[in-house]
Amino acid sequence: MIWRPTPLNISFMTLVGWALFLGVLTGRADVIVAAVPLIVALMAARRAMAPPEWQLTHEVSSDRVFEDDRVTVTVTLSARTSMPLVELLEPLPPLVHLEQGCNHAFFTLRPGEDVRWTFELRCAGRQRLRLGDAHVRLWEPLGLVAAETRDHQRTTVAVYPRVTRVQRLPRPARTQTFVGNHVSAVQGEGIEPGEIRPFTSGDQIRHVNWRATLRRGELHVTQHHPERNADVILMLDTLSAVGPDGGTAIDLAARGAASLAAAYLARRDRVGLIEYGGVLRWVKPGSGRAQRERLLDTLLRASVVFTHVAKDLDLVPRRVLPPQALIIALSPLLDARFVKAATDLAARRFDLIIVAISPIAPAKASVARSPVADVAAGLWALDRRIELDDLRRRGLTIVEWNGADPLETALGALRRPRFRSVVAG
Amino acid sequence: MRFVAFALLLALVALPLAVLPSLPLAWLAVPGFIIGVVGVIALSVPLVTAGAALALIEYTLALTITKTPVDVVTAAGFGAAVFLLLQLVHFAGRVHGATIGSAVIASQIRHWLAIVGIASAVTIVLTIGAPAVRLALTGVPLPLVVVAGALGALVTIGGVIALARR
Repeated sequence: MIWRPTPLNISFMTLVGWALFLGVLTGRADVIVAAVPLIVALMAARRAMAPPEWQLTHEVSSDRVFEDDRVTVTVTLSARTSMPLVELLEPLPPLVHLEQGCNHAFFTLRPGEDVRWTFELRCAGRQRLRLGDAHVRLWEPLGLVAAETRDHQRTTVAVYPRVTRVQRLPRPARTQTFVGNHVSAVQGEGIEPGEIRPFTSGDQIRHVNWRATLRRGELHVTQHHPERNADVILMLDTLSAVGPDGGTAIDLAARGAASLAAAYLARRDRVGLIEYGGVLRWVKPGSGRAQRERLLDTLLRASVVFTHVAKDLDLVPRRVLPPQALIIALSPLLDARFVKAATDLAARRFDLIIVAISPIAPAKASVARSPVADVAAGLWALDRRIELDDLRRRGLTIVEWNGADPLETALGALRRPRFRSVVAG
Repeated sequence: MRFVAFALLLALVALPLAVLPSLPLAWLAVPGFIIGVVGVIALSVPLVTAGAALALIEYTLALTITKTPVDVVTAAGFGAAVFLLLQLVHFAGRVHGATIGSAVIASQIRHWLAIVGIASAVTIVLTIGAPAVRLALTGVPLPLVVVAGALGALVTIGGVIALARR
């Protein structure tokens, strides 16, 4: 740690110089006397200062939060030797806002004294937040000499994409073998009544439909559909990003994917994730709390990795992309490679829903407001409508979502045939 | 802190006018005060330094024109005010918007008053030792003393600039 003179020395020296010069020039001793406090201060600050010993510790209220949640940071400074004046600055990472307190503080500590300092942050965008990289500036009491250093006590906080409640979810066309909340197309033990047929040997008496039996004059039974779980694969397009930091189309897609994952997992479905971008990442389908953490961790890292190479979904293992799964693709549909991948999936008879995230609002947010921008956005919206209609004509199921309205509202517009007609077809 | 700085600045520009109330001095006092006020509002040490330098020139002019007897107490007070003004503005600029620990202000005031106290003691020593210096400089031509003093001041300023750039 090196002690360096501060610019205040120049001010002091300038005034001392003027006082000495004017005093000698005019022969007035009192003008020279006026410079004495400044000279004394300069001389007092010249004393060699031993580097103080201290320890800085960081604590955060939570190491896992969601977007817009608050994190309380507590910094404890323990001085082993005297610290006349210490300045601490905790730089704020991007997309982090100070909600309460201040990330800049001054303290005076005696040997063995501790001081605690607390401030509250709001994390506006998904990221792995790194705190504890504090700038420490030690001041000589008169501010004429200072020494700077950095304290590296890294504390990490995972800021996951915001999860909103989605109650009305798209139904999967096909179900799996485990118990869940979706009515299966197959007949079996369940509470959902199905077709009525004549009694055959082996049928249970409790399944007899007495009303139909009386009307027909012979025993009839009601068949049931079992409730089964489903495999849901969320496919995230990270080939392109449009919009300002924290509000890009990828951020919106990550929020949508996190909300859908939470909703499907709550229904005991198995949820997997494929990040389709410059790097192909995936999380194989699973259920439970650990799976939720895995999905959120993957969504946290989702970002654009630039590449010209179009990744083929054939690279994805079969257990990650099971043929019976419902695939929900979240994409701004800006990159032709993703459109091609989605079209290929649909052609291979995968149950695919595309949530088309509008890139227009994020793009508008990242440029200055002007009539030209408004006209351009309007034209883009028309162009996009034509493109989406074209994709719909090619057999793709597309739901438009602008990112601002609840995802549930967008999904409410989805019209899908119920499982029976799908099976029949 | 800004109010105290305003009061000190006002005292600095008003003192020479109290010694010699005249229009030519006011021509120095007004710009000095305006520059100083802007410096205090913006918490800018260079602007306050400029204001204080103008006040110092104004004070020197007032003393030279009136040819009043040497008043060490007033001069020491003027010097202490300049020191406190610079310290206040510099400190306020540093801590602006920051969290300040409970002991910081008290500790700073203690240090500032200690410097003012030491400076007062040094002034008393200089006042007592001044006749001896006068005896040592007897017979030395005034222009030589002036040139030596001016060179000393210039070398000091140059040294500080070099120190700050290091």
